[in-house]
Amino acid sequence: MFSRHVDRRTVLLGATSLAAAAAVPTPALAKGSVTAAIYPGTWDEAYRSIVAPALKKAKDVDLALEPLFAVDQIAKAQAARGAPPFDAFVLDPGPRALAIERGLFEKFDASKLSNAAKLPAGFADAHGVAVNTQIVGIAYNPKKVPTPKSWKDLFGEPYVSRLGLTGFQTTFGTLSLIEIAKAYGGSETNVEPAFVEVKKALPKVAAVMAPAALPGLFQQGQIDICYTNTNNVASLKARGVDIDFAFPEEGAITFITTLHIAKGAENVENAYAYIDTALSADVQAQLMKPPSSMIPTNKDVVLAELPIKSLDELSKMRTHDWSKINPLRAGWIERFNKEVSK
Amino acid sequence: MARRSTPAEVSYKLVIGGLAGLAIAILVGPILVVLITSLTTAPSLKFPPPGLSFKWYEALFDPIRSRHIHVAASNTLWVAVGATLLVTLLGVAAAIGISGKRGVAARALENGFLGPLVLPTLAYGFAALMFFSLLGFRPSLPLLVIGHAVVIAPFVFRTTMASLTQLDPSLLESSASLGAGRFTTFRRITLPLIAPGIAAGAFLSFIASIDNVPVSLFLSNARTDMLPIRLWGMMESTLDVRVAAASGVLIASVVVLVVVMERLVGLSRRM
Amino acid sequence: MAPRRDGVEWPLAGPLGLAYTAFFAAPLLLLFAISFYDDSDLTRITGSQWVKFFSDPFYLSVIGRTLQLGAVTVLATTVLSFPLALVFCASRPSVQKLLLLIIIMPLLTSVVVRTFAWIVILAREGVINQAILTLGLSATPLPLLQTEFGLVLALTQIEMPLMLLPLITVMRAIDPNVVDASRALGASRWRTFFQVILPLSLPGWVAGATLVFASSVTAFISQSVIGGGRLVFLPSVIWQQSMVVYNWPFAAVAAVTLLVTVLTGICLLAALSVRLAGR
Repeated sequence: MFSRHVDRRTVLLGATSLAAAAAVPTPALAKGSVTAAIYPGTWDEAYRSIVAPALKKAKDVDLALEPLFAVDQIAKAQAARGAPPFDAFVLDPGPRALAIERGLFEKFDASKLSNAAKLPAGFADAHGVAVNTQIVGIAYNPKKVPTPKSWKDLFGEPYVSRLGLTGFQTTFGTLSLIEIAKAYGGSETNVEPAFVEVKKALPKVAAVMAPAALPGLFQQGQIDICYTNTNNVASLKARGVDIDFAFPEEGAITFITTLHIAKGAENVENAYAYIDTALSADVQAQLMKPPSSMIPTNKDVVLAELPIKSLDELSKMRTHDWSKINPLRAGWIERFNKEVSK
Repeated sequence: MARRSTPAEVSYKLVIGGLAGLAIAILVGPILVVLITSLTTAPSLKFPPPGLSFKWYEALFDPIRSRHIHVAASNTLWVAVGATLLVTLLGVAAAIGISGKRGVAARALENGFLGPLVLPTLAYGFAALMFFSLLGFRPSLPLLVIGHAVVIAPFVFRTTMASLTQLDPSLLESSASLGAGRFTTFRRITLPLIAPGIAAGAFLSFIASIDNVPVSLFLSNARTDMLPIRLWGMMESTLDVRVAAASGVLIASVVVLVVVMERLVGLSRRM
Repeated sequence: MAPRRDGVEWPLAGPLGLAYTAFFAAPLLLLFAISFYDDSDLTRITGSQWVKFFSDPFYLSVIGRTLQLGAVTVLATTVLSFPLALVFCASRPSVQKLLLLIIIMPLLTSVVVRTFAWIVILAREGVINQAILTLGLSATPLPLLQTEFGLVLALTQIEMPLMLLPLITVMRAIDPNVVDASRALGASRWRTFFQVILPLSLPGWVAGATLVFASSVTAFISQSVIGGGRLVFLPSVIWQQSMVVYNWPFAAVAAVTLLVTVLTGICLLAALSVRLAGR
């Protein structure tokens, strides 16, 4: 058995190695750095591989990215009460309106940006600046199901048994369900028809999932159709997944994504540098290419390799009034949970 | 004892053997699946993999492409080491102060210190977030060390208590009667004898911190990115196969560490 | 000058005690207090969130389903653990070492690693379904992911070690003479198991069942990744209400309910063990 001699050695050995490990320096962030919230998935990857190196090169600022959906960013910022866990937000219109209401932004000074002039009118204001336009529609596996034509198709065969449903926790989920409700006679404020259809479809659908799980389930073949944005589709396609984007005939959804600086942020100047870089023609042109396929807002960028040929097509798509939607959303989230629960 | 091949005997062996085999398959299967999937040549997490290669391990160790993963890993290590040192010091002291003592206070403390083992860590993680944020603290690595320390303390406390109960009290008495002071007795008699128990407990605490998700979910953010959280995000939203490679590295490290700990301190006896 | 005193030595136990009071007890008390507020900005105390939670049949069903998950997982791990423990006790020491390594492994691997493994296994085109289709046991793939069965299966792997370790510890200590005597008196293996081994192993089972129940009930990641959106348990209510909807008081109500649920389960198991010991 162990002699006392060995035991002491054991303790010393253990203690030394622990101490040695503790001597590993803490990974402190470089002097010039900024922490930005970013949408999980495509956005995270794109910004990490394109914006971060560009920012480092241009302004010698390190970019740390925290993957969070827009609503989660609001929740975390509020939870932190004045000491936000990140310096910059990336938000969709609904959460943006909420954040303004709750005073979560630092007052935005567009004149600090060198690229502000390149944006269309109205794309920059005292709250933040528009960095991207999103299009939301239907993603499907062309090898397993025929091209869907309408929002209503989602709830009929052969689609419904391969459908992945997600609720109102995200912007794309909320707006898709609203459009589905509209297709069945509802409106922006009345999503009852959507709930009716969801309830009917529940025994047949392939999956009900958290929004972040969508790419994984598509790739594993668990679902073959769902509602999502063009960026997710492009990204999955680039990974060899059989997936295509379909514009519903009632109209795809479009909205602007904006960047903001958090009130009480630690690195305000670096945040401006980050936003400026994300708006530059160079970076936006790179973000536009597959697999991120982000629609630029900088007028200097010529559109190419996108699901749309010109920004005019956006005017034919559906937009929404978040001042009406926001107050109802928390209730819808809870209702969805209850409806889908077995 | 004569062997009887009665139907009862045979059915017993079949059922028990079969269920035991199923249990082993369930325990080991997923780990093998992870290891095999990590060697895939394809850019997706499908099983079985179309071909085998180490390319995802290369991608994982690439300092440019995987920098954020390395940062998360070193954060996790830093917190684990800090939390383990902290709880080892405090936990061993507490165990010595309570072991063998009678009375309500001793029993209450003993059960109290084991509390985090059974109380839901998710609820605690949320409670800790509210607690620290209402006190005005920003998320930071030291806060994570505290949060982790609370949930991993029971491991080292429990194994140290177990070692102390196995100590022969006559050893301590003879040391005292030979004139040794309390601290000398502790240093030269008690400590060496309970060292394996402490080491086993510290090891379990360390692993528990590395693997911890509920506390890190609430208390961490981009500046204090933790490995399990980062891997979870990668797994769900970008389907990055590096998750499989990272899992392979983690599994291999644990196997090595467990074998080492088994040799050094007889880990299996102390769990 | 005997070093042993009968009271707790506070200078030694004090520091950990203080740390627990400040960083474990205090946050939990805060959690309890916050559950009585009305809103996340903590301006009004009315207990309205408690009323909201307990007057809603949906949330009551969530409590029930959470308890059920714990109970079913305890059952599944019990059915698998006893046989493996028996095999362990009957094996040579070298085999025992290998078995212990196998048993400890899931405990020491990160939950993220384990969950992703189960996704690959349970998916529509995953390992199990591929095997089923190849063997011709079914024409179409079975839904395993996002079902309670799939979730319990995954939880079984994660929780079995928690049941096995105490069970093996106690089983090993059973006096082999008792078992031999039973066999010598003509009892079959089955009878020996149910009437001798099982009752003697109960303390180990109770310890294991407690840990399995507590752990499976709060296994948030497994529940949400493998269980999916249709299986709603208390942990996902806590997460959604705290981090998505930002209703802290309501999340606190769910969290306190979870704590009480686990404690209740533990007390029931403890009471059961006392009753069985008294037999």
